[in-house]
Amino acid sequence: MPVILSDVTCLGCGCACDDIRITVRDGRIVEAAQACDLGAAWFGDGSLPAEAAVDAVRTPMPAAIASAAGLVRAARRPLVYVAPGVTNETAREAVALADLLGAALDSVTSDTAMGAILAAQERGRASATLGEARQRADVVVWWGIDPSSRYPRYAERYAPLAHGIHTPDGRASRTVIAVDIGEAVSAADADRRFLLPVEDEVATLSVLRSLVSLPAADAIPHDGDPLRAAIWARARALAPALVSGRYVLVVADAEPAASDTSTTDAHMRLSALIALVQALNGPTRAALSLLRAGGNRSGVDAVLTSQTGFPAAVDFSRGAPRYRPYDGRASELAARGEVDAVIVVGYLDHVPPGVAAFVATVPSVVIGPDASAMTLGPRSVVIDTGLAGVHDAGTVLRLDDVPLPARAVLPGPPPAAAVVKALREALVEAMAGA
Amino acid sequence: MSQLRIMGGTVYDPANGVSGDVRDVCIDDGRIVDSLPASAPRLDASGMVVMPGGVDIHSHVASGSVNLARRLLPEEHEADPAAAPALAGGDVARSGTGGTMPSTFTTGYRYAGLGYTTVFDAAVAPIMARTSHGELDDTPIVDAGFFVLMGNDEYLLRLIAAGERAQAREYAAWLLGAAGGYAIKVVNPGGVELWKRGARDRVGLDTPIGSERVTPRAILETLVEAANGLGLPHAAHIHCNDLGMAGNVATTLASMRAVEGRRTHFTHLQFHAYDAAPDGTRRSGARQLIEYMNADPRISGDVGQVMFGAATTLTADSAVEYLLHKSSGRRWVNVDIELETGCGVVPHTYKEKNAVSALQWVVGLELFLLAADPWRMVLSTDHPNGGSFMAYPELIRLLMDRAYRDSCLARVNQTLLAGSAMADGLAREYTLDEIAIVTRAGPARLLGLTRKGHLGPGADADVTVYAREADVSKMFATPRYVVKGGTLVVEEGQLRRAPRGQRLHVRPGYDTAVETPLREFFDRHSTVSFRNYPVGDLRDGALPVGRV
Repeated sequence: MPVILSDVTCLGCGCACDDIRITVRDGRIVEAAQACDLGAAWFGDGSLPAEAAVDAVRTPMPAAIASAAGLVRAARRPLVYVAPGVTNETAREAVALADLLGAALDSVTSDTAMGAILAAQERGRASATLGEARQRADVVVWWGIDPSSRYPRYAERYAPLAHGIHTPDGRASRTVIAVDIGEAVSAADADRRFLLPVEDEVATLSVLRSLVSLPAADAIPHDGDPLRAAIWARARALAPALVSGRYVLVVADAEPAASDTSTTDAHMRLSALIALVQALNGPTRAALSLLRAGGNRSGVDAVLTSQTGFPAAVDFSRGAPRYRPYDGRASELAARGEVDAVIVVGYLDHVPPGVAAFVATVPSVVIGPDASAMTLGPRSVVIDTGLAGVHDAGTVLRLDDVPLPARAVLPGPPPAAAVVKALREALVEAMAGA
Repeated sequence: MSQLRIMGGTVYDPANGVSGDVRDVCIDDGRIVDSLPASAPRLDASGMVVMPGGVDIHSHVASGSVNLARRLLPEEHEADPAAAPALAGGDVARSGTGGTMPSTFTTGYRYAGLGYTTVFDAAVAPIMARTSHGELDDTPIVDAGFFVLMGNDEYLLRLIAAGERAQAREYAAWLLGAAGGYAIKVVNPGGVELWKRGARDRVGLDTPIGSERVTPRAILETLVEAANGLGLPHAAHIHCNDLGMAGNVATTLASMRAVEGRRTHFTHLQFHAYDAAPDGTRRSGARQLIEYMNADPRISGDVGQVMFGAATTLTADSAVEYLLHKSSGRRWVNVDIELETGCGVVPHTYKEKNAVSALQWVVGLELFLLAADPWRMVLSTDHPNGGSFMAYPELIRLLMDRAYRDSCLARVNQTLLAGSAMADGLAREYTLDEIAIVTRAGPARLLGLTRKGHLGPGADADVTVYAREADVSKMFATPRYVVKGGTLVVEEGQLRRAPRGQRLHVRPGYDTAVETPLREFFDRHSTVSFRNYPVGDLRDGALPVGRV
């Protein structure tokens, strides 16, 4: 008999749709109704290995934990790396482990979304949870993003397609503005479209900010400089559209494709975008929706922040957390050879290639879904665990930090939180005995 | 440690009429008891001051909003690394960071290190409740809970618009249980919803919120009736409209009159007690406010004292934060929270030489010093809005030591102080009895925590022992011993044990008929499914309410 579970939360992307209906038959997921392609791929059929191995030799769990503890204790400068696919409860255990070890602590965030975090630490952010986008946004601005591939149900569930309390006719209640930035083409369905050259993006945002917050800025002469004149002309065309609504939602990707830009560029772009959206709250109301990819990334950031004060790139080596957003990211530590062992908690398959490659060059412990499938060296302990929201239950955060329950829809490998906890307890015991 | 006799201390237990008596306090299995066998372990407290553990009625320590503020302040955390305390018996503690928004574990350690053993987060959007529970799980030692934001809740406003006040009460009961909260919180009733709609005008008590039937007055009446009708242990906890504005004392008084004769708690009153001078500037309205409160024994309040130095303003009253951002130019976080409330964060520094900061400091002290009944005027800084909870010892010194207070007063900007009670001279000095009331006995009673805030038999064994010092701020900053639930957590001034605290929450019964239309509302408007919204069972059981 098939078992049907409703209201299941999907972690295929940061939208965290919680309306998925999962059908399980003969211990396999056979359908994920409502899920998009990303969601269907996230759930898969729910089958994952449940093994543990030391140096590629299958090992019973208790012995694997003991070996992992030994490997970690031999390291002088370990890194704990929280990968996607974990619940907040697992992330909390991972931070506790890093604290115990005086380790470096990082997550995928530092490679994918650090620009957005640094910009928000510099300026703050005018934002909203996704339900407010749905209820109120009568102007939706796609800022160099087409959500259909990476956030497929955003438009349908939140905006602009969803029907909200103050936007009762859904799409017809809203004006959609697509801003294409170089090759970053925004959503096809738009009422108006603007094109910005990549190199003019930050300058245009700055001019827009002046225009919306200080109408007299329009009178500032630009001395006939043709480049500046072009930027001002574009901004003048765009500004009235931005202030035409009661509630303007600006949507941008906090994690643009890896090839897109450096962190510094992303920091500058997002800083200018944040400043514009804050300024829009003078003439109207406005919110910036920064999109995050799947696997509970916002949840991991939140746990690191609540326990250490910092969202990523943390260093416990001096006995209390320090923030090293520039030189303490996993990729930087790897490039400098600063760490001599890595403990990955989460789905190694979902980490940036540079970090994954580094993990294969140092002694490592990988605790996560499908860990036993990874080829690692020179010394390694791999322990398969469940995947958040498929086998591991707990709390996860949507990209707007709204918490949702992750359900266990299938029995599976041991929960990641329990395995990390067991490793920490083994280490505490070993340290006490030493 | 199941038994402990705290010997020979000078005990201040105002709830039981004990004022500076030298006596033993006996603890057995986590509770206060009348007596113990002579063989029970002893702790010598002779010459020291013994009080119940502190109870913070209004703080911001565990929420999605608190975490946004933490994320906004990396430089504060960098400047205040907090190494893990060395616990007894090889127990492993956690490191963290401090500043005005400490990390979770550090928050628990620091509260306990001050002798506070019970803390409430005063503002949690129910949709974000899971986050608060997760953070409280990581906040050791203190017993803790939170208040649930309802004053701008879309569904509640709809029920009020439909004239369904009884249903509104049932919905409030459902929402408290769904969030795992402790009390009903009202923040700028209706005003946050108007700000989300783009309104910029000041909100009066009778300003319509979308419907003529929905006004701040109607919201206040509804939620005050709900809290009392449900028999909740704590009154509706009210943050009035018009926070920070010149002349807002009139709004605060009008709000109090609107719910006259009913049990209510008005919070961080300092921010709501400004009169307007003829030129439109702020001046103290503390006298007017206190005159009213002194006469109505059903009203309680906490002060929300401003302390000079760094603070972080953090509130569901997001309209206020926008104005503060515009005036100070500092970083600003705003999050409109769907169907429920708002959230704003702006770092702030209160300066002695700033006229408004000085007025705020004076207004808060006036509220303390003019209040006739300390049982109804609780000590708070609205942490971290008026300053950190770490400033409580300094605040206690200001209350107990007039000479010190006057020397501070002489240093501050006098521009807006003319005619204030402080400027005219306030001689009152709080006694240790009164300090024990405003920091533990009073808040425990107002919260309906029958086993907290006192040292009678059956009380939770939360006890703080202070070594006397000439400077009371030092005395209150570093208790010699703190016992939490019978466990000696601070020994010789050092944090030595960090047991987990209890979750304080209620789950009032409600008319389940409320669920059918509510489910329809969720299906139609919410981005979170009805089933996924409640936090579910919590580790600790719910506390009793008047109505089961």
